[in-house]
Amino acid sequence: MQTDNAQKIFIAGQLQRAQDNVDQLIASGAQSVVLDFSACTFISVDGLEWLEEMLLRADSSKAQVRFVSIPPSIYKVFKVARIDSIMRACGAPNTDKHSQSC
Amino acid sequence: MTATTNKEQDQILMERANHYMRQARLAAAVFTQYSQEDVDRIVKAMTQVAIENAPMLAQMAHEETRMGVTEDKILKNLVASEFLYHQIKDKKSVGVIQEFPELNLVEMAEPMGVIFAMSPVTNPTSTVIFKSICAAKTRNSIIFSAHLMAADSSNTAAKMLYEAALAAGAPKGFISWVDKSSRLRRLSELMMTHPEVDLIFATGGTQMVKAAYSSGKPALGVGSGNTPVYVHSSANVPSAAMEIIISKTFDNGTECPSEQTLIIDRAISDEIMAEFKRNGCYICTPDEVKMVADAVIDSRTGGMNYRLVGQPADLILKNAGIDSGSDRPTKVVLCPLEGELRHHPLAVEKLMPVLGYVFVDSVDEGINRSLDINYAGGTGHTAGIFAEDENVIERFTTAINAGRIIVNSPSSIGGLGGVYNHLNTTLSFGCGTGGGNITTDNVGIKNLINFKRVPRRKNFLTTFSTTRNIYINPGSIDQLKTLKCSSAFVITSPTASRRGHLAMVQERLPENCHVEVFSDLGPEPEFETIQRAIVALRKAKADTIIALGGGSVLDAAKLVRLFYDYPDLDLDQIAVSFLDFNHRMQVFPKEMKTQLVAIPTTSGTGSEVTPYSVLKQGKRKISLVDECLLPDVAIIDANLTRSLPQSITVDTAFDALTHGLEALVSTFASDYTDGLALESLRLIFEALPEILKNPQSVLYRHKLHNAATLAGMAIGNASVGINHAMAHAVGARFDIPHGRANAAFLLSTIAYNSRVPTKFVSIPCYPLWIADRKYARAAHFIGLNEKQERQDLSYEKDEAYRIRLITSLAQAIYDLGRLAGIPLSVGELGIDPEVYLESLPELTETAMRDLSLRTNPGYALPTEVAQLFFEALPIRQRPE
Ligand SMILES: [Fe+2]
Repeated sequence: MQTDNAQKIFIAGQLQRAQDNVDQLIASGAQSVVLDFSACTFISVDGLEWLEEMLLRADSSKAQVRFVSIPPSIYKVFKVARIDSIMRACGAPNTDKHSQSC
Repeated sequence: MTATTNKEQDQILMERANHYMRQARLAAAVFTQYSQEDVDRIVKAMTQVAIENAPMLAQMAHEETRMGVTEDKILKNLVASEFLYHQIKDKKSVGVIQEFPELNLVEMAEPMGVIFAMSPVTNPTSTVIFKSICAAKTRNSIIFSAHLMAADSSNTAAKMLYEAALAAGAPKGFISWVDKSSRLRRLSELMMTHPEVDLIFATGGTQMVKAAYSSGKPALGVGSGNTPVYVHSSANVPSAAMEIIISKTFDNGTECPSEQTLIIDRAISDEIMAEFKRNGCYICTPDEVKMVADAVIDSRTGGMNYRLVGQPADLILKNAGIDSGSDRPTKVVLCPLEGELRHHPLAVEKLMPVLGYVFVDSVDEGINRSLDINYAGGTGHTAGIFAEDENVIERFTTAINAGRIIVNSPSSIGGLGGVYNHLNTTLSFGCGTGGGNITTDNVGIKNLINFKRVPRRKNFLTTFSTTRNIYINPGSIDQLKTLKCSSAFVITSPTASRRGHLAMVQERLPENCHVEVFSDLGPEPEFETIQRAIVALRKAKADTIIALGGGSVLDAAKLVRLFYDYPDLDLDQIAVSFLDFNHRMQVFPKEMKTQLVAIPTTSGTGSEVTPYSVLKQGKRKISLVDECLLPDVAIIDANLTRSLPQSITVDTAFDALTHGLEALVSTFASDYTDGLALESLRLIFEALPEILKNPQSVLYRHKLHNAATLAGMAIGNASVGINHAMAHAVGARFDIPHGRANAAFLLSTIAYNSRVPTKFVSIPCYPLWIADRKYARAAHFIGLNEKQERQDLSYEKDEAYRIRLITSLAQAIYDLGRLAGIPLSVGELGIDPEVYLESLPELTETAMRDLSLRTNPGYALPTEVAQLFFEALPIRQRPE
């Protein structure tokens, strides 16, 4: 699924630090964005809310956003939060809340 | 404007519920990342704010609910903050929370997620403080739904603690509260069944707790109380009276663990009533009791009148139309409950300073009347006793069904925990099944954690034991001369005496030793013969038993000694089968009193060094196993085997061969038993062909004799396997000597055990199936690889080579068997094939029950055992 021209953004430390970059990228019309979480250490409630809202924006501008290299501590936050769009960005095949994996 | 329908209203409420749930859900998710330090910092900040605001919140609660006493509500707020903090501050609630090194087990914490909590009108702020701090400590989100009459104070408390937590770094939205509105009750109902709720933490009236339980969600609830307090004559009466007053007036009796009915020993009745009176309690006359009951009991429900809950005593007297006749305030209204206690209207829970009492004439009556109150709607909750007599306390606590039985202290504040005792601090009293709850705990942080248990494998204890003194060389029978014994009892068979062995023993025993002989033991004796030997032994009063003979004699002598030393043992009980030796239920004696000397005259069973005794019972064989069966001395003197006839030599040698092979592949095999097993196999392959040529050769008789004892040590610790299970069955059914029966199945079971098992065995000491490697190792060890195989081949890695080695082992056994002339299949044993085939179900069942199967390297399924029996019938061909 990954296309060659995908824009990759590394998230280091707390998620908030990368928010502006991603927002700009989506606003500039990028069609494929990859968020690399390998260096992400913490996600706050605001961070989760932003991810969900950003995915909504990306969806309406037909941009594809994928999350990669997610550390287990962060992935567990996504699992407990049970937000469909985030799970899809992690590669979940459908919207069935209970059968997701990535 | 048209009024919205109920459905539309529900939809609006559901949207609100979704909003609360979503923020709680996100906060719960984020909370999973918090460390213990993070959490403890947040808890500390919350506690500090709660302590600072305890008076303000107490006052607010009192003003809003018009219940209780502000001063006591302050105390409750402090219990819920300061006392709780003291109790939980050093407790672990994140990651590993407890380690059990001796069990190789750790417990870890997993948050529960989203908690939907309710707070009662009687303790609005303290309950919110308590639950908020507990939620933070356990990394859960919590949504409060307050009692409508206490929503302002409850929500203020929640907001205060939340803001303090947020400032200390807590996740946004982890505490929330449902705003006060006329639809609060309906909203609570909808939230209880909301899919995002992980746990309902209900404290409050029975209706609400019931709703929580019927929501289908996991719920922590409380039951209703009806606390009996027994004041025994041994109590410190003035102190008991004062503490009962403290307790019953605490927050005007709103605490549900508080005293409801006193059961007082008549011997101290005058004294305690005088104390109550002196301290400002009002004691009602029988007529006044009726007036009080009419005021405080709702005649329609039989329960308390909710308008008077938490009201001061004088207001209650006024409502009842009673003038206390005193200008000082009344503390407690005391009502004598006359007539049948179980039917008295006041024998129920009264959350107000109204207290029933009865006098009793004995401890029995005291406990029984307490049970009457306890079982009148208060099971599982709280009870109390004032007594100095420990025996009375024990009898009371044994009889009463209550989650907390408070001894010599106020039951209300005592029940809260932490102030008067070391109970966990709580505002939520679990009542167990008596109160329709899952726990009798003083509910706290422990109940808000999902415990993850991480067990590591048990350290499997492997031991090695054998006969302590073993004398080995030809001529070692001379050792009897130095034997410490004053009275010896020789157990032997008629053959041994014919072959001159008995005389050899008698000549060598110390001169002053009295000797008696029991030579009636034939092959495979029944228990009845053993019992006769015991009778003879009792008469002889010997201190030493000398077992002289083959395996049957040695096995029998072990039992003779066991029942001689411990006549009360029951054979049926010690013969109970077991799955795991370390967990078996049978108890054997730890020490034997009589010395047992084993002198084998065959080279086969190795019984002189094993803790086993096989006994024939009808058409079955039962195996007994215990270290106490091990002989104390073994004399391995090959001179005693020189005259052994060839057929017995061969039969018993094949028993020893089977022992070596089965011990080697056993699930209980260890490096210790492997060494013994391998060397025994090597010695048998070396010695038996030589003995067949020259039966009188002491050199090879000695090697074979040693082989049998080494193999005995191996099975004594590693046990045997499927071959023995099958041989025992056929041997008992068709009277086939044990070694012969073993030989008939040996090639079948090696082939079977060399294949990957259909079903693996679940035994912790056998983490990897290696039976095929073990057989290959045996072949290698006895030199079967020398012909043409390359030196660099490894049977560990090269499966084809391994299979070749196993085949050469099977061929070597076949060749040895043919050389020795022993039957290698059932068909060669002379058993009628038709009878044999008819017996297959029975043989299979017997073999399946045999203990020997427990240590087979693969789990032998009944169908497989039946098939093995079937395949062992035709004349054996040389394995290819
Ligand atoms: Fe045996």
